[in-house]
Amino acid sequence: MFSKVLIANRGEIALRVIRTLREMGIRSVAVFSDADRTALHVRKADEAAHIGAAPSAESYLNIDRILDAASRHRVEAIHPGYGFLSENARFAQACTDAGFTFIGPSAKSIAMMGSKTEARRVAQAGGAPIVPGTESGVGSAADATAFARDAGFPVMLKAVAGGGGKGMRRVDRMEDLQPAFEAASSEALRAFGDGSIYVEKLIEHARHVEIQVLGDQHGHMVHLGERECSVQRRHQKVIEESPSPLVSRMPGMREQMGEAAIRAARAAGYYNAGTVEFLAEESGRFYFLEMNTRLQVEHPVTELVTGLDLVRLQLEIAAGGQLPFTRDDVALNGAAIECRIYAEDPANNFFPSPGRITQLSEPAGPGVRLDSGIYPGWTVPLDYDPMLSKLIVWAGTREIAIERMLRALGEYHIGGIRTNIPLFQLILNDTAFRRGELHTGYLDELLKTADWSTNPPANLAAIAAQVASLNQTPERSIASAAVSRWLAAGREDLLG
Amino acid sequence: MKKILINGEEVQPAAADVVEVEPGVYSVLAGPNSFEARITNDEICVAGHTFSVEVEDPRQWKRSSHSTGAHGRVSIAAAMPGKVIRVLVAAGDEVAEGQGIVVVEAMKMQNELKAPRKGRVISVDVKADDSVKPGAVLVTIE
Repeated sequence: MFSKVLIANRGEIALRVIRTLREMGIRSVAVFSDADRTALHVRKADEAAHIGAAPSAESYLNIDRILDAASRHRVEAIHPGYGFLSENARFAQACTDAGFTFIGPSAKSIAMMGSKTEARRVAQAGGAPIVPGTESGVGSAADATAFARDAGFPVMLKAVAGGGGKGMRRVDRMEDLQPAFEAASSEALRAFGDGSIYVEKLIEHARHVEIQVLGDQHGHMVHLGERECSVQRRHQKVIEESPSPLVSRMPGMREQMGEAAIRAARAAGYYNAGTVEFLAEESGRFYFLEMNTRLQVEHPVTELVTGLDLVRLQLEIAAGGQLPFTRDDVALNGAAIECRIYAEDPANNFFPSPGRITQLSEPAGPGVRLDSGIYPGWTVPLDYDPMLSKLIVWAGTREIAIERMLRALGEYHIGGIRTNIPLFQLILNDTAFRRGELHTGYLDELLKTADWSTNPPANLAAIAAQVASLNQTPERSIASAAVSRWLAAGREDLLG
Repeated sequence: MKKILINGEEVQPAAADVVEVEPGVYSVLAGPNSFEARITNDEICVAGHTFSVEVEDPRQWKRSSHSTGAHGRVSIAAAMPGKVIRVLVAAGDEVAEGQGIVVVEAMKMQNELKAPRKGRVISVDVKADDSVKPGAVLVTIE
């Protein structure tokens, strides 16, 4: 096993990896930009290396700087986390060439699955069903038109090099195709340096269901069940859960999807942790969407229902170990739900809300896991994704997990900035969500009728008035409050 | 007499036992019920409901006697990024509660930060023209 590992990432996922490294007795090396000198992952790592200026291109996306830090700190392996360089085949290859083990699949597998059209070919060759679409990127809106005429509307335009919802457009009518194509192409060019677009038939009211796979370098591969991620906004996942309410009630569907995922992954010569994403219809039919060649943001829900530590398994596989279990050994227990907590204001069109965290009170208790990258007194930087933490709960049933999540959200208070916690309270109290009646358009529909105005009970207003009457000017109390907490935290660290 | 506006409307304060249990966090016992209230900027959150708060005459505001101990150190810190315009005290000065300590300009407005209670200035950590970050300690009083 490795004795020292560098994490080429920041925030909660860097913390997540550091925690497992510590449990395994492996030293951790954090990297940080100018904006992250005081970030929690730097505080908690065993070693830390400055890698450049705040813009990602000069730090977390800069392969040379990261490899230089890895050399200086004499690490043996590099964990990429998710986002940033995690699905960059050139980075995986550069790590290997520089003598570091890349904790993930081979550069070749990443490259195969990184191209959406290539991934579709590979998956189809492996026997996984795919959504009808063009074989490769189409050169012009005219080619897209030809496909749409045959397949019928609506269609989906997608970036060949895509991910994260960038370069994606739904098109319902022929006359919208040309402008949508141009918009998607230029967005893809900006985001990925490649403006190629392909066209797929849009499967309406489909669910997003994905399968976690795990393979070693000796040819063993298992799947660890599914996650349902149908609650999305702008093609970004908001809530993830395992098991899927649909898959749970369709006999045999889990094993069918699992087998299809393993076939697709095997066709790409895949090893380490990966996720195969599918669109699923209420009938139980499903279609290969894409493969994510990294640890997912939502991996904790799988960890909670399987009892496995996916980061530990990633490290063991990368070090050449064999999978320590077979599919038959993996039991799925209970239900887990994850909420992605963002610094954004749902009542104000999800406007980003960066700033200083003046107060923090975190949920705890039975079945609660919080993977967080924040602390009181810390300022959320403007330079990166505004995800603050992931709140994950486990319970014996989905119904209890929902109640538990609402309880935990009620305990979670992040002062000084706006967060999307009210959004989760809205969703988790919604009848359709509670019935498990989900599809990828579910949240947009819910938000159309969402009422953010609250009518709090009059007695609470009177209590607020009483507190206000006893408090001095709020601004001053905040400043001194935050500092005293900050100093207290510093003292705790010093005292170990 | 001060007037307290909650969500823009005047509200009579409830009879309740209020104790500041953590900085900015209050335990409220009202009748048989226990609530937690949190103050952030100009908002108060009670039992998951957030209220905007205005006080008609802020000079009338007094800190409750149990909110901060009368002993020990208290730091005066910048609430937002800004520039120090003037420092009104020096280390060793005795200051009274409410006495001006530092003038900071933030978002084009000058704010005089006042002593939260009486005491002796034990350190002045900034000088005029310094840029300060949120949370930066400006002056400490003992």
